[in-house]
Amino acid sequence: MKTLDAPRRRALKSWSGLQNREDPVLYVGAASCGLAAGAAEVTRAIEEHLAARGFRADIVRVGCIGPCYLEPLVDIQMPGKPRVSYSNVTPEIACALLDAFLERGEVFRRHLVGHLGEDGYGGIPRFFDHPMLARQARVVLRNCGIIDPASIDHYLARDGYEAIESALSRSWTDVLETVKSAGLRGRGGAGFPTWRKWLTCRETESDCRYLICNADEGDPGAFMNRSLLEGDPHAVLEGMLIAGYAIGASHGYVYVRAEYPLAVQRLRTAISQMREIGVLGERILGSDFSFDIRIKEGAGAFVCGEETALIASIEGRRGMPRTRPPFPASEGLWGRPTIINNVETLGSLPSILRNGAEWFSQYGTETSKGTKTFSLVGKVRRTGLIEVPLGTTLRTVIYDIGGGLVKDFKAVQSGGPSGGCLSEEFLDSPVDYENLAAAGSIMGSGGLIVLDANTCIIDTAKYFLNFTQAESCGKCVPCRVGTRHLVGILERISQGKGQLSDLDRLEQLAKAIKGGSLCGLGQTAPNPVLTALKYFRSEFLAHIVDRRCPAAVCRDLVVYRIRKEKCTGCQRCVQVCPTGAITGPRSEPHNLDLEKCIKCRSCYEICRFDAIAGDAIVIESGA
Amino acid sequence: MNPKTIRAKHARSIGIEIDHRGVTCPEGVSVLRAAEMNGVYVPSLCSHKDLSPFGGCRLCMVEIEGMRGYPMACSTIVQEGMKVLTDTVALREMRKEILELILSEHPSSCLVCTEKDECKENQYTIRKAGVSTGCRSCPNDGGCELQNVVERLGVTDIHYPVYYHGYEPGHDDPFFDRDYNICILCGRCVRMCQEVRGAGVLAFTHRGPKTVIGTAFGRSHVEAGCEFCGACVGVCPTGALTDKVSKWDGQPDGLQVSTCPFCALGCQLELKHRNGRLSRAEAHLDPEINDGQLCVRGRFCLPEVTHHHERAKKPVLKRGSYRREVDWSEALDEVAAHLKGLAPDDFLMVVSPDLTNESLFVAQKFVRSILKSNGIDSTARSTFPGGIDLWAKLLSLPISIKEIAHADTIIAVGLDTRFYFSIVGVEVRRALREGARLVTIDSHDSNLARYADLWLRTRPGTEGTVLGLLADSLLGGSAPNAARIAGKTGVDREKLARALDAVAPGGAVAIVVGPSAFAADPEYRLAEALLRLAEREQTSFLPLFHGSNTRGVLELGAFPEILPGPRPAEGKGISLDDLLQGRATPKVLFLIGEAPFFERPSCEYIIAQDIYYPPFEVDAFLPASSFAEAEGTLTNVEGRVQENARIEDLPDGALTGCARPDWLILGMLAERLSRSDLLFESAARVREQIHREVPGFPEEPDRRQRMLAETGIGSPAGRPAPARGDARADGRRLLVVPGGFRHRGIDLCGVVEGLSELSLEEGIRLHPEDLAELGIEGDGPVLLRADGIEIQATARADASCPPGSIIVHRPLACGGIPHRKDLEPLYRASGIREGVLVEPQATPEDSGVAGRGAGGLKAES
Repeated sequence: MKTLDAPRRRALKSWSGLQNREDPVLYVGAASCGLAAGAAEVTRAIEEHLAARGFRADIVRVGCIGPCYLEPLVDIQMPGKPRVSYSNVTPEIACALLDAFLERGEVFRRHLVGHLGEDGYGGIPRFFDHPMLARQARVVLRNCGIIDPASIDHYLARDGYEAIESALSRSWTDVLETVKSAGLRGRGGAGFPTWRKWLTCRETESDCRYLICNADEGDPGAFMNRSLLEGDPHAVLEGMLIAGYAIGASHGYVYVRAEYPLAVQRLRTAISQMREIGVLGERILGSDFSFDIRIKEGAGAFVCGEETALIASIEGRRGMPRTRPPFPASEGLWGRPTIINNVETLGSLPSILRNGAEWFSQYGTETSKGTKTFSLVGKVRRTGLIEVPLGTTLRTVIYDIGGGLVKDFKAVQSGGPSGGCLSEEFLDSPVDYENLAAAGSIMGSGGLIVLDANTCIIDTAKYFLNFTQAESCGKCVPCRVGTRHLVGILERISQGKGQLSDLDRLEQLAKAIKGGSLCGLGQTAPNPVLTALKYFRSEFLAHIVDRRCPAAVCRDLVVYRIRKEKCTGCQRCVQVCPTGAITGPRSEPHNLDLEKCIKCRSCYEICRFDAIAGDAIVIESGA
Repeated sequence: MNPKTIRAKHARSIGIEIDHRGVTCPEGVSVLRAAEMNGVYVPSLCSHKDLSPFGGCRLCMVEIEGMRGYPMACSTIVQEGMKVLTDTVALREMRKEILELILSEHPSSCLVCTEKDECKENQYTIRKAGVSTGCRSCPNDGGCELQNVVERLGVTDIHYPVYYHGYEPGHDDPFFDRDYNICILCGRCVRMCQEVRGAGVLAFTHRGPKTVIGTAFGRSHVEAGCEFCGACVGVCPTGALTDKVSKWDGQPDGLQVSTCPFCALGCQLELKHRNGRLSRAEAHLDPEINDGQLCVRGRFCLPEVTHHHERAKKPVLKRGSYRREVDWSEALDEVAAHLKGLAPDDFLMVVSPDLTNESLFVAQKFVRSILKSNGIDSTARSTFPGGIDLWAKLLSLPISIKEIAHADTIIAVGLDTRFYFSIVGVEVRRALREGARLVTIDSHDSNLARYADLWLRTRPGTEGTVLGLLADSLLGGSAPNAARIAGKTGVDREKLARALDAVAPGGAVAIVVGPSAFAADPEYRLAEALLRLAEREQTSFLPLFHGSNTRGVLELGAFPEILPGPRPAEGKGISLDDLLQGRATPKVLFLIGEAPFFERPSCEYIIAQDIYYPPFEVDAFLPASSFAEAEGTLTNVEGRVQENARIEDLPDGALTGCARPDWLILGMLAERLSRSDLLFESAARVREQIHREVPGFPEEPDRRQRMLAETGIGSPAGRPAPARGDARADGRRLLVVPGGFRHRGIDLCGVVEGLSELSLEEGIRLHPEDLAELGIEGDGPVLLRADGIEIQATARADASCPPGSIIVHRPLACGGIPHRKDLEPLYRASGIREGVLVEPQATPEDSGVAGRGAGGLKAES
C-alpha cells in the first residue's frame, strides 16, 4: 500500500516553516462570520499598510475559531513567538496593531484576546483560557481557525489523512466496530446510531452504494456545518472516505446549500487537492478502495435536508420526501443502498479513527457519546460556534460559555424550527439526545437560540411556524395546510383576538400534524408550539385573557408612552415619527397622540440610541 | 409476457388480519389494495391503481401491529400475518382532522352546508362561473371523490378558516380547463404524466402553501410538450381538470364501450352519455390495445365531431341554385332515378376508410351487383403507396401493438407520437423503462427521438434504405455497405455504426412505421425491408395509418381491382386516381363519407352521403349517422373486428335530424332499384352475410388478432413511379405528408376547436434555419416554385422539419378546412418532389423596411 509519507513530510515542512518563519505571519478569520464582520476590509487595510510601510509579513486566511461575536479576529505571530489574537479589529486598529508590532516591536494591548501558545507570553492570557473557550472540548473543530482551510498541507501537518490510512489497513468490519464502540450517533438531529445505519447499507445486496454528506443546513440561526466546511473541509472529506470505505460505497456526494458559496469553494479546492495526493479516485493509496466525491449544490429548500427529499434533489427531481420504508440505507439514490450522514458526523470520524473509540467515548454521557457543536446565538452575551461534550448542562453552555444574558433568561430553543423552547427548569439538565426529546425538543443539528424576557414566546413560535409552513414541500396535507392554520391561530392570539378554545385547537392540530405528516419536517414542525404551550402557558393566557403581551412585543397589544419625568424634549423622536404623532416644543416633555401612533418603534429606538435621558419612551402592554 | 403480468398472475396468496378478520390477498400488494379486495373501505384521495404510491392525502392511515405511528395503507406492502386496524377512534379523529384541513383549502361550503340537500333540488344558478365557489359551481359535482369521502367520513363542519387560493383559472390551452383553486394536490395528474405517459409536462411547482400544479417555468401546455391525451383529466379526483366540451354536461347517465373511429389502432373507449347524447369519451381499461390511455383525437375530439353545429342531418337536393331540405323518400327517389340504367363505366363510388365493415360491404355489393360496375374506390389508396398487393402482404405480417412493450429492441421509423398514435408512444416508453433500446430512423425531429438511444436522422425518403441495413444486421448478415449507405442517406456514419451495434443483440424486436414514412418512400424500400424481416422470429410489426377501417376497405374489396376476401377482380372500373388525374370522368359520382377535393369535379350528377355537407356543391346529399348513432364494426390494424357502439338513438325531428347508417341508406336505394336483398334489418345481419362471403371474417365482433388471408393478388408490372420535379441544384425538397386528423369527409382540424387552435397541419413548414437563410425570422410569406406550380404561402418555422425540406400536410379529406385550399396544387402529387425553389416574398410594407434593415446598416458602418 502506498503511504502519504512524502506529502506529509512536505506538509510538515511547510507548516513548521509557517511556525518558525523569519517574517511575521498574520492570521485573519475569514470564514463567513468574519467576512460579515468586515474581515475583507481589514485584510485589504493590512495589505495596503504593509505595502505602504514596507513591512514584510505573510497573511493566512483561516476559518472560524468560535467566538463569532469577537470577529473580525486577527492573529499576529512574530517570529519564534506564539500567535496573539485580537478581536473586533477594524482597519484602523489593524494598522495600529501592525505599527505596534512591526515598527515599535511591542505588544499591542488594546483588543487583545489571548495567545495561542502553550506557555506564558509576556503576561498575555492564553486564548483558550478565555471564558467562552475554557469549557469547550475541541474534537471536530480542532483545526477550525487554526489552519488555512485552502491548504491540504496544513491539514496533513496536523495528522490529516492518517485516519483513512489506518482505516484502509484494516477491514471494514473493524472500522465499523470502532465507530460502534465509540458510540457515535448521527449529528443531524435524530441521533440514530451511525454504525447501525452503515451495517444495513453494507448488508444490502447491490452493485454499488452511495454515501451522501448532508450539508443542507437550513435551520434559522444554525451555522455549525458551514463553519466546519469553511474552516476544515478536509476533515469532513476524510470522514467521507472512512464512511465510504466502511459501507463499501464507490461514490460520494456532498449536498451543500448553494447559499454557502465559500463552503462550496473550500470543498472544490479540497477535492482537487485530494486527487493530487491520491486520496480520491481509483484505488486510493494503492488499496482496493475506489471512491469519488461530487458536489451537488442545493437550491435552497429546507426540506432537502430530509434524506429522501435530498435524494430526489440529487436525482434531478423535485425535492419532495417519500414514505419510508424503504429506508435509503437499503434503497436510496438511484435505487441503491445509500448512507446519508451529517457534516459533523463525518467530521468526527477522523478523530475517532486516529485516537480510538475509547478516547472519543470519554466525552459525553452513557447514551450520548462524544462532543457536539452548537451555534450559540440569541440574547446571550457571547455568541458563536462552540463544541462541548454531550451531557454538558444548558447552564454551563449559556452562562459559563455564553456569558449569560443582559436581561432575565426566558427560554432556549434547541434544534431550530423542529425543536422546542425549553424554560428555566431545564437549565440544569444535561444536553443529550434523550433529555431533549423527553422535554419535547430535539437536539437537531445544534442550533441554540437563547431568548430573554424581552422575547414573546408566541411571537417566537409564530416565527418558526412561519418558516416551516413556507418551507413545507406541499406534498402532504397535515404539513402543508396544518402548519398554515397553526400560524393563523398564533397570529390571532398575538393580535389579542384569541380565545381559550384556541389552545385546545392548537394542541389538537399539532397532534394531527405530528402524527399525520409524511416526513420529519412535518412531524417536528409543531414542536415550537407544543413546548411553548407546555412551558409558557401563562403567556398564552396573558395574550388571550388579559389581552396583554408580557414581553411587549406583539404590536397589537402594546402602547407607546412617553415618560414625562425622563423626557428632555430633545425633539429627536419628533423628527423620526412618520405620522406626526409626537409633538411638543424643544426642552419640554413631548406628547404622544396614540390615535396617530402606528407603533413603528422609530421613536423608541432613537430615544434609546441617543440615550440623553435614557429610556424616556417605553413600550407597555396591558392595563 | 412482461414480468409485471407474471408477478400479478402468479403472486402467492398470503393471510393477513384486517379489523380482527382473517383475510387473504396476493403477496406484494399494498394494504390499501388488500383492504379494497376484501371489501374494507379505507378512504384515500391520492392513490390510484395505475400509479405509484404517493402518501400525500394521509387519509388512508391505518394502525398496524408492531409499526410505529400511523402507516399509510397505500404505501405499506402487506406481510404475512400482518394485523391491520382501519377504523379505530384515533384513526377516525385523525382522518376527520386531516379532511378538514383539505377542505379548508377547497371551496367547500356546499360540501358541509346543512342546507345542501334543499339546495341540490332548487339552486342551479351560478353554473359556468369562472371559478368554482362551491360544489354547485363545480363541473365535477356529483362525480367528485372528495364529496364522496366527506360523505363517508361524516364531516359536517370545518373548524378552520377557508383559504381561497385565488388562482386565475386556466382556459388558455386547448381541450381542457384548469382551476387549481379546487385542486387538492393529490399529485395523480403529475404521476400520470410522468410515470404512465412518460411526458413529464406536469409537475409540482412552488412550495409550502403556494404549492401548485403547473408546467416548467410556467409555460403553456402547448409549449411544454403536452400531448393533450387527457390522462390527467381522467385521474383528477376533483373538478380541477375538466374537458372544455363536456364540463357543464353534468354526470353521465351511463357509458358504452366502443372503438375509437379516428385511426387504425382501434383504441377502446368508454363513451359517456347524458340525456341520450354523447358527452365525452374516456379511455377503456383494455389490456389488449390501449390500457386506459388515449391520444388527443380519441379523448377530446369525438363529441365535437358528432355534435358540431355544422353537422348535416337532413337529406338535401339541389334545386337550381338553391339547396332544399327534403324527406328521405324524395331524396332516395331522385338518386335512384339517376342511377338507373347507368353504364358500368359511367359510375364511381368513393368510400371512406372510416366506414364500418357493414357499410363497406354493402357499398361494394351495391356497386358490383346492382350497377354491375367495379367503379368503387377509396382514399385509403393513398395510405398504400406501392400498391394494394404490397399492402396485402404487409398486413399479413405479425402485427401487434402490445408486443412493443415486451420488446428488447424497438425501431421506430418516421413516427411522432405526440398527437398521432400516442398510445404507441406510451408503449414505447413503457418498454424503455423495462430496459429496451430504441432506435429511431426519421428525417424529422420526432418526440420519440428524445427518448431514443440513437436517432438516425436521414435525408427524407431514405428511411427505408437505413431500415434495410438494420434488417440485414438483424437477419444475421453482415453490413459491409454501411459506410456507403451512410453517405447515401445522410446519416452520421458513426451513429449508424453504433445503431448496428445496438440492434445486433436482437432479442424481441418491434418495428413501428409511421404513415409519413410510407408516404415518402419513393423506392418502396420500407415495405421491402419489412417484408424481409418477416422471416425473422421474435419480430413484431406495426405499420400505422390514419383511416380507422383502412384494413376493412382492403379486406372487403372496396377497390376497383379487388373483391371481398380480398380476391382479384375481373375487369376494371374507374378509379379515384383516374378522376383526379383527369383520365376519366364518371357521369355519376357517389361519395360516401369522402370529400377528397375542394372543388366540384365536372361530373353530371354528384351524390354525397356523409355526416357533414361537403365543401363543394352536390346534387344530392344524404345524411349519414355518425359513429355515435350507428352500430357496426371496425377492423383495426391488427385485424381485430371491434364493435362500434350506438349510444345516440334520436327520433327523427326538426332539431335532431334524420340521419341513417350508411348501409341502411344504400339498402333503401337498392330497394328503389328493385333489389331487396341489400336491405338488411340490422348491422348484425350484414355481418352474417360478410361472414358467409369473406373467409375468416367473424360473424360477431371478435377482438382476436387476424392476419390477412392469402390474397392471390399479383404484383402489377411496375410500381407507380414517384413524382419527381426537375432536380435543380439550388432547389429544396418538398415533402407532402398525409394529414392525420381526418374522419370521413372532414378534416378534424376544421371542426374541433382545440385542434384548430393548435393548427398542427396548417401552412408550409420549414426549418427555422432554412427560413433564416431566406432572411425570414419566425413565420413569413414565401413564394414556392416547382415545375409549373407557383404558390404564395406563409412559411411556418418548425424546428422538427428536416433541414433543406419543405413540409406540407396534405388533407385526405377536405371538409371543414377551406383555408388550406390555397395549397391545393402542392397536394396533387404525394411523396417527395425535388428541386422546389423558395424565395421570400416581401409584402409592400415590408419591402421598405428591408432596405433599411439592420443588415444594411451594418454593411454601411
